[in-house]
Amino acid sequence: MHAHAQASPDTRRPRGRSVLAGAAVTTAVLAGVQATATAQRTPKAAVVPLVVYSAQGYDKLETQDFSKRYHIPVQLNDNSTGPLLTEIEASKNNPKWGLLWVDGATAFAELDDQHLLLRGFEPNVKWDSLGKAALPADKSYVPTGVTLMAIMAYNKQRVAHPPTSWKALLSPKWKGQVGMDDPSQSGPTYPFIAGMMQDLGGIAQGKAYFSKLKANGLVVNPTNGPTLAALASGQINLALVQSSAGIGAYFSDHNIAVKYLNPVTILPSVIGIDAKAPAQEQKEAELFANYVLSRAGQKVMKTGDPTGDSLYYPVINGIAPRGILPPLSGVKTQSINPYTWGPRENTINSWFDSSIVK
Amino acid sequence: MATLQQHLPLPAALKPPEGGGPPNNGETPPGRRGLARLRQDPQLVARGGLAAFWALLAALIVLPCACFLVLAVSPRLFGQGPQWFTLSYLRQVFTGTTAVSLVDSLWVSAAAAGIGLLVGVPIAWLSNRTLLPGRRFVAGAMWLVLLLPSWLPASGWERLVQPDGVMYRIGLNFPFVTSTIMGPFGVVLLLGLRCVPFSYLAITAALRGLGQEYEDAARTHGASRITSLRLLVPILAPAITSAIAIGFAESVSDFGVAATLAYRANFPLATYQLFADVNGFPPSFPGAAAIGWLLVGSVAVPLALQARALRGRAYRVLSGRSRAAVRRRLSRGGLIASLTVVIGYFAVALGVPGFGALSSSVLSDYGASLRPTLVNYRAVFNNSGLSGPLERSLIYGLIAATVTVALGFLCANLLSRRASASGTLLDFLLLAAVALPGVVFGAGYIFAYNLPALSHVGLDLYQTTTLLVVAYVASSMPTNARVLVGAVSQVDASLRNAARAHGASATRAWARGVLPAISRPVLMAWLLTFSGILLELPLSQLLYAPGSPPASVAIEDNLGNYHFGVGTAQAVVAVAIAFTVVGLALMLFRLVTPAGWRHVGEGVNE
Repeated sequence: MHAHAQASPDTRRPRGRSVLAGAAVTTAVLAGVQATATAQRTPKAAVVPLVVYSAQGYDKLETQDFSKRYHIPVQLNDNSTGPLLTEIEASKNNPKWGLLWVDGATAFAELDDQHLLLRGFEPNVKWDSLGKAALPADKSYVPTGVTLMAIMAYNKQRVAHPPTSWKALLSPKWKGQVGMDDPSQSGPTYPFIAGMMQDLGGIAQGKAYFSKLKANGLVVNPTNGPTLAALASGQINLALVQSSAGIGAYFSDHNIAVKYLNPVTILPSVIGIDAKAPAQEQKEAELFANYVLSRAGQKVMKTGDPTGDSLYYPVINGIAPRGILPPLSGVKTQSINPYTWGPRENTINSWFDSSIVK
Repeated sequence: MATLQQHLPLPAALKPPEGGGPPNNGETPPGRRGLARLRQDPQLVARGGLAAFWALLAALIVLPCACFLVLAVSPRLFGQGPQWFTLSYLRQVFTGTTAVSLVDSLWVSAAAAGIGLLVGVPIAWLSNRTLLPGRRFVAGAMWLVLLLPSWLPASGWERLVQPDGVMYRIGLNFPFVTSTIMGPFGVVLLLGLRCVPFSYLAITAALRGLGQEYEDAARTHGASRITSLRLLVPILAPAITSAIAIGFAESVSDFGVAATLAYRANFPLATYQLFADVNGFPPSFPGAAAIGWLLVGSVAVPLALQARALRGRAYRVLSGRSRAAVRRRLSRGGLIASLTVVIGYFAVALGVPGFGALSSSVLSDYGASLRPTLVNYRAVFNNSGLSGPLERSLIYGLIAATVTVALGFLCANLLSRRASASGTLLDFLLLAAVALPGVVFGAGYIFAYNLPALSHVGLDLYQTTTLLVVAYVASSMPTNARVLVGAVSQVDASLRNAARAHGASATRAWARGVLPAISRPVLMAWLLTFSGILLELPLSQLLYAPGSPPASVAIEDNLGNYHFGVGTAQAVVAVAIAFTVVGLALMLFRLVTPAGWRHVGEGVNE
C-alpha cells in the first residue's frame, strides 16, 4: 500500500502492459478489444488521465469541457453512488480512482476516517453560507452545490392547503397520504432521517417520529422515482423527496408543486480526491475542483441536466440557482455533522428497514 | 530453444547445427523428444489439455469467488476488517432477518424450479412432438422471455396490481389480487415463469435427440401412450434434473425480483440481504460473503438429487441409428387445452412485462394522465448517449458469447462423462457459481485481480475492458454449460466413429459427425449468453473501464438520475435490438447450414 502511494504515474496505470497481461490470461481476441480501448486512452507525456468517479447527471459535459480547456484526459466512471462506493471500498488496497463526485457528505466522512481522502485542499473561491456550512474542518472534501432533503412535493389540484410543519404530517388528516424513500436503496434519504433525528433532539426522538409516521400510514418506496409516481397516480398526496427530484417532477407533471418544511437538511454534492493517487493526478483533481467552482464550470452544472441534478443551490457567491428553484429566504436550513452521523448510517438504516418499511 | 535463438546475433541464429544434420549424432533433442512423445500419446495431450482447462477455470471462477467468500472468515485478508480469523459473520447469517431470508430463498427457489418444469415440459413436448398451430413461434417467444431482465416482469406486475396501479385505475378493484401477487405467491410465480425457458430448452434439446424407436419399442410391447411415458421420462432424466438444478440455482441467485416485487411485498430474499450488505456504507463484504457461502451450499441439494437420479445410468440416445419421431395431431379438446397453456404462459410471461416496460416508456408524467407520448423515445434517438454504449455492449456480447460457448462446450463434455470425479466437481463448481449473484463476481474480480502485488509486476487488469469481458465469460459459462449438457450428453460416440471408419480425420469426423447434431443447441447457448451480456448490470457497474460504459450502465445512469421514462425507453430499445440479433442469427442458421444440420438431432417428421 505504502509503495503504491509513492508509485509514479507511469507505474500506477501501465495500460499497455495490461494488454499483455490480458493476453496471458485470456485469448488473443480479448486482448484485441483491450488494445483498442488502450489506444484511445493513451495520455500525453506531461499529464496522466484523471479518473473521475461520478454519479452526477451533468458529469459527462463537465468532464468534456474540463478536458477541452486544460488538455487533460479524463476517464469517467459514471455510475450510481452505491456501485462507486462499493468499488472504492473493494479496491482500497490498490485504488484506481482519482476523484469522487457524488451527493452526500456522510460517505466522504467515512472515507476520510479511513484516510482515503486527500486533506487540506480548498479551492480559492468565496463560499456563500451554504458552502461554508458544508465545508469540513480538515478540508478533506469540497462541496460543489446543495440540494435539500427532504422537501415536500404535492399535487396542487388535490391538495389545496398542504401541511406547514413536520409535526402536521402526523395528523389524521394526512393518514395514508405521505410517502418517502427507503434509505437502504436511496442514498439521499439517510441524511433526511439523520436531520430529523438531529432536529428532534436525538436518535430516540427521531425513531419515535418515524414510528408515528408509520402508524399514520406512511408509504415507503425504494427511490424518488416510484415515490413521485405514487404521487402522480394519487396513491399518496404528499411525497418527501430530494429537492432536485421534486422540482424536476414539475417538468413531467405541471400539477406537482413543492413546499419546504422547517428545518430542511442540506445535502451537498461533494468532490473528494484520492489520498493515494499520484501527485500529478492529485494536482489535476484539484484543478478539476477549481474548474467546477468557476463560472464556466458552474454554467455547465446549471445547464447539463436541467430537469435533474442541475436543480441545485450554488455554494459560492455570485452564482444564482436556476430560476425554477424557490428562494431559500425564510427557509430554515440545517446541516448534519457527517463525522457524527456517518458511522451511524448502517445501524439506523437497518432499524428503518426492520421497523418502518416492514 | 527458439526463444534463446532470437536473442543471439542474427548470423549465429541462422547458423545451422554443426554437421548440418540433427545434433547429438541423430538423437532427438530433449525438447523434440517431448513433442514426439506428445504426438504418439494422445492421452498425454488430453491430460495436458484438461490441466490447462482446470487452470483456466480456476482463474476465471474459483479464484474470484474464493477471494470474496474468504472474507466471511478472514476480513483482514483484503483490508475489510480487523480480524484474521472469525466466525462471527457466519454466525450472524443464522439470526434475524438474514436467516428468514435464506429460508425464504430456499423454498421459493425450489417451488420456482418446480413451476418451471411443470410448465416447460408440456410446452417443449407440444412444440416438438405435436402439430400444435404456431409451434414455430414457441422457441422465439421463449428466447424473448430469457432476454428480459428479471426486474422487468416484476415492475410490469407492480404497475398492474399495486394500490395505485392500472388495475384500479380502470375500475377493477380486486385487493385480493394485489395482496396475492405482491406477496410470496407472486414472487414464486415470477421466478417460476423465468425457469420455464430453461426447462423448455433442456427438454427440447433432449426430445430432438430422442428418436422414434424408443416409443415404438414401448408400443410394440403393448404400452399405451401414457404408459410409454414410463420409458421416455427416465431417458429424459438428465434434461429434467438439469432443468431443476439450473432453475433452482438461477432463482436462488436472482436479484431482479428480490429487489423489486419481493422487496415491495416485505418478503426478504437472501440476495437482497447480500445486496444490502454490499450497498450499505461502509459496505460489509464479510457479511455478504457469509450469505454467499450459504447460497453456494444451497445448490448442493439439487445436485445431490440429480446425482441420485442419474447414478450408474447412460443417456446416449442420439446415434447414427436414431429414427425420426412423428408429430402427433391433437384432438379438438387437446388442441384447445394445449393452446390455452401455451398462449396463457406467454401472455403472462411476456404480456405483463411488455406492458410494464412500454407503459413506463410512453408515459412522460409518471403515469398521472395515462396519456401516451413518444417523447422518451425521441429523447433516446436524439440525444441519450446510448449508441456508443450499445455498440460497445454488442461487441462485448459477440466476443464473450463466442468464448463462453467454446468453454461451455468443454464443460458440458466433462459433465456428460458418467461417474467421473472431475465431472462431479465441475458440476458443483458451475452450479455454485450460478447461485452466486453478479455482485459477488464483480467484487471478487476486484479483490482477485487488483492486488498490489499484481500491479507491481505490471498486471493491472482492474478497470480494463479485458477483465470485464473475462468476467462476462466467467459469469455466463456455468449457465451455458448447463444448457448444453443436455444435448452433449446425448451424442453417442458412434456418430464420430462412423465418420472415422470412412476415413475422415479426427477433426473432420467431429465436424461431420458431431457438429451437425449439436449445432442448434450451440447456437441457442450462444444467443442466451449474448442476450444476457447485452443488459448485464452488476458486473458492468463494478468492472467497466472508465470512459467506456456498456449499455446497461448508461441505462441505469438515466434511471438513477430521475429520467425514468428515458431509461425505460432505452431498455425497450436495447431489448428490441437483442431480439433482432436473435432473429437474424436464427435466420442465418436456417439459410447457411445444410438442410441435414437442421434435421439431424431434430428427430421429428412433420
